[in-house]
Amino acid sequence: MKKLVSLLLALIMVLSCSFALAEADGKLTIWTWDPTFNIAAMKTAAEMYNAEHPEVEIVIEEIQSTDIEQKISTAVTGGDMSVLPDIYLNQDNSFQRSLYNFPEAMLDLTGKFDFANFGAGKLAYSMLDGKNYGVPFDAGTVVGAYRTDYLAEAGYTIEDLTDITWTRFLEIGRDVKAKTGRPMLTGEAGAVDTVLIMLQSCGASMFNEDGSVNLVNNEPLKAVLDIYNTMVIEGIFVEVNSWDEFIGTLTNESCVGTIQGCWILGTILSQPNQAGKWAMTNIPALEGVENATHYSNNGGSSWAIVPGTDEELAIDFMQLYTNVEFYNTILPTTSAIATYAPAKEGSNYAAGNEFFNGEPIFATIVEYTAQVPSNITGTYYYDARDALATAKTNIINGGDITSELQTAEDTVNFTMGF
Amino acid sequence: MNNTAPAPRKRPFLTVARKQNLAGWFFLAPAALLIFYFSFYPMFRAFLNSLMTGRPTALAYSDPLIRNYQFMVKDKVFIQSVTNTLTYLIIQVPIMLILAVIFATLLNNRDLKFRGLFRTCIFLPCATGLVAYSMIFRTLFTYDGMINAVLLKLGFIKEAINWLNDPTTAKAVIIIGLIWRWTGYNMIFYLSAMQGIDYSIYEAARIDGANQAQQLLKITIPLLKPIILVTAIMSTNGTLQLFDESVNLTNGGPANATITMSHYIYNTMFRKNPNFGYAAAMSFVILIMVAVLAAIQMKVGDKR
Amino acid sequence: MKRMKGKDYWKKHLSRGAIYVFLIVVSFISVFPLYWAFISAFNNTAEILGGRMLPSTHFVENFKNLIETQQVGRAMINSFATSILQTLMTLLVCSIAGYGFEIYHDKYKDIVMTILMLAMMVPFVAILVPMFQMFSKMKLLNTWVGFFLPNISTPFMIMFFRNSARNFPKDTIEAARIDGLNELQIFVRMFVPMMRPTYAAAATMTFMNAWNAYLWPKVIMSTSDSVTMPMLVSNTNTGYVIDFGVVMMAVTLCSLPTVVVFFLLQKQFTNAVAGSVK
Repeated sequence: MKKLVSLLLALIMVLSCSFALAEADGKLTIWTWDPTFNIAAMKTAAEMYNAEHPEVEIVIEEIQSTDIEQKISTAVTGGDMSVLPDIYLNQDNSFQRSLYNFPEAMLDLTGKFDFANFGAGKLAYSMLDGKNYGVPFDAGTVVGAYRTDYLAEAGYTIEDLTDITWTRFLEIGRDVKAKTGRPMLTGEAGAVDTVLIMLQSCGASMFNEDGSVNLVNNEPLKAVLDIYNTMVIEGIFVEVNSWDEFIGTLTNESCVGTIQGCWILGTILSQPNQAGKWAMTNIPALEGVENATHYSNNGGSSWAIVPGTDEELAIDFMQLYTNVEFYNTILPTTSAIATYAPAKEGSNYAAGNEFFNGEPIFATIVEYTAQVPSNITGTYYYDARDALATAKTNIINGGDITSELQTAEDTVNFTMGF
Repeated sequence: MNNTAPAPRKRPFLTVARKQNLAGWFFLAPAALLIFYFSFYPMFRAFLNSLMTGRPTALAYSDPLIRNYQFMVKDKVFIQSVTNTLTYLIIQVPIMLILAVIFATLLNNRDLKFRGLFRTCIFLPCATGLVAYSMIFRTLFTYDGMINAVLLKLGFIKEAINWLNDPTTAKAVIIIGLIWRWTGYNMIFYLSAMQGIDYSIYEAARIDGANQAQQLLKITIPLLKPIILVTAIMSTNGTLQLFDESVNLTNGGPANATITMSHYIYNTMFRKNPNFGYAAAMSFVILIMVAVLAAIQMKVGDKR
Repeated sequence: MKRMKGKDYWKKHLSRGAIYVFLIVVSFISVFPLYWAFISAFNNTAEILGGRMLPSTHFVENFKNLIETQQVGRAMINSFATSILQTLMTLLVCSIAGYGFEIYHDKYKDIVMTILMLAMMVPFVAILVPMFQMFSKMKLLNTWVGFFLPNISTPFMIMFFRNSARNFPKDTIEAARIDGLNELQIFVRMFVPMMRPTYAAAATMTFMNAWNAYLWPKVIMSTSDSVTMPMLVSNTNTGYVIDFGVVMMAVTLCSLPTVVVFFLLQKQFTNAVAGSVK
């Protein structure tokens, strides 16, 4: 027995030693998610950087965005920054939240990186008090992508869906639904992506400039929810239960199209049997709402650098994000649209896309990107998003828009009241 | 005490009884210390947190101290999460335990063929990870998923049910999932306890003309009472702390209709603007609920 | 003769038949979701979402995609090491504690036991942050020890062993004492061999819990080198494009060891039960 115990203890000692943290200098660790997108982009960056600095070891680790946020949170709270990587990706929507709560994990990049050629709207996500904390990466510029074959079946073309209003979209949607039996759009039931896309397209947000929540007196939001509700009730927009199912509606060809951040093109392009059947355009605008546009944003993220041992190296590495060739290289494999303005000079941006019948879709998206109105996120973004999702679900189940929004606003105010 | 006793030194300090008593303490010490250090101590720290407010890195005692607890009463989502969790508890735990006893009874019958096979099949779900099974169930219960297809074909329903998008059916799916995952687990406890029951008792009962149901009620359940109590407390405890299913199967939706207390606490800490103090306060409410329910169950279970 | 068989005979057989039908249905429901996950490892995304019920030809492709995008080998090593170590430590620490509580029980030990039982009620989310702080101070983040240390001693396992120690005959202990064995020797030489089925059951349960642990490893195992299988499964289900064939391959690989362990120990478990219970 004693032997067994001492054997076990010895074993544990050995194991714990072999697993100790390496605090190696000259090594960059990067946390990000999605092998086909962010990880692929960082791998290319690592190759390009290693071509000139072969001595630098770059390790890219796949971690989901919510897990990254949780790990940052536990590490900062636990006071142990050594477990954090040198560089990590942050969703733009939650950047302000991280910046406010865990400033310890975000290096002030002001003056260390050239932010001149990035759009102001994109930079705003990662700025606080005039200082920059994030290197902008991909744009979540929203596109409308539709199956031309299904549209043709109902007698429409992609031009009929370009520069239109939501009222017109509803008419077309009804007609297409009647003639083909397919919904125009699909989306996750528990999410409010589509609602927020529509909201941002007219420059509105869930918050006021001063950071206070703005739901119940938000006229554009009410208009959006009204349209959304109509679409769901009439079957023009079908709500599915999960992200996987949403992707499924695109890959198994059960819906006509999608209005989503341009990263959705990655999914569409991954279905070679659908080549030539898709076309892309801008999104409908809200009618009778001030500042309504055909452009919006959903998703997108920025890189943060952890202050610490390897910060100089990390900054040097991140200079690749002002390199046109880098953006040009990652475009065909990831379809990540740069927010770095000069990137559109890259040859791949101008090139026609076979899948989309030779249309230069990436150049078009860059054009859209420039016209996206900015929005306000703030540290309570997810609180508001969750509350709005609840309101949306209740409205679809027959709830009154104003009273549901009041409840949502109360919920967010409650959290903010702490 | 007695004046003839200046000679305790002569007697060995460790009498046999003392030695055995000490051995007992020595045996249970490692386990007890581990639990104290890795459960009670962090819980104590969490309790201090529950009296604090502010950013995670700049927590300060709130004013008044019980401010977090006061907020809870007004928090509609928290109240919803408590209601949801209690709904799971009241429906799922009894069904699961009754099924487990029934399965165990059927499988304890030595005349039954393929006992091993049946037992293996029923226990197999426990070998599935929580993340994995949540993912499987979500796919099975989707709108155009298998379950709807089968029910439509058999004519049980006229049109497909949007299981995960309706507050009632979404709760039902979570409950079905829990029953699927955990019934076999509880059954194994009953089975191994039944193997400790002398089989001849049943044979005698059968000769006396007792039917299956009577054997179950008069012999099995009374003898299994201690283990049933244990599983009831464990299941209550597990259900009140339910987390993975709510996160992976429904993500709390639709409109918080399936969110559990632990899930809401996790969101409060990591998803929303982090509020560690409030999260700690809410977890103390779970602790108190578990304690109260366990006390009730022990009280009921002890009446013999 | 025929008359004597009569109604009772048929009633008995009918109810017996009903029991078999019932058990077959229950078994089918229990096994089906796993069967489906397993065959889906052979299918691609379109086939899986389309509800294909038979294996197709994408097994190798899914496997290749999985090992290319995820550190399957590393995750397997970590999961096996942590689960086996946790199981061994739990059996050691909890069995001796359960034995100690039952065999030498007195008023004070019963009180301690009741207090320990309270630990079962501690919701894990509540102690997540304090635990992280403690483990980071102990320099145990991203270590196997960090993974299993807080889970070695559980009130449930102590109680499990305590209950089984109740069946351990007291006269065996007395006899052993007369033979000159000390208390530890009695535990090691008499209790442990006799309680093999209990150990097998406890090992099965602990291994499965350890293998499937998700929230705690997610918090303390932060580097990609310390990923475990459930974390890997959850990692496959992320991103803008999801390959369900790969997801189901990961689910299958993650479920396989626990299923195998269950089958292996189940046999030992039943045999030992049959052999040791008089």
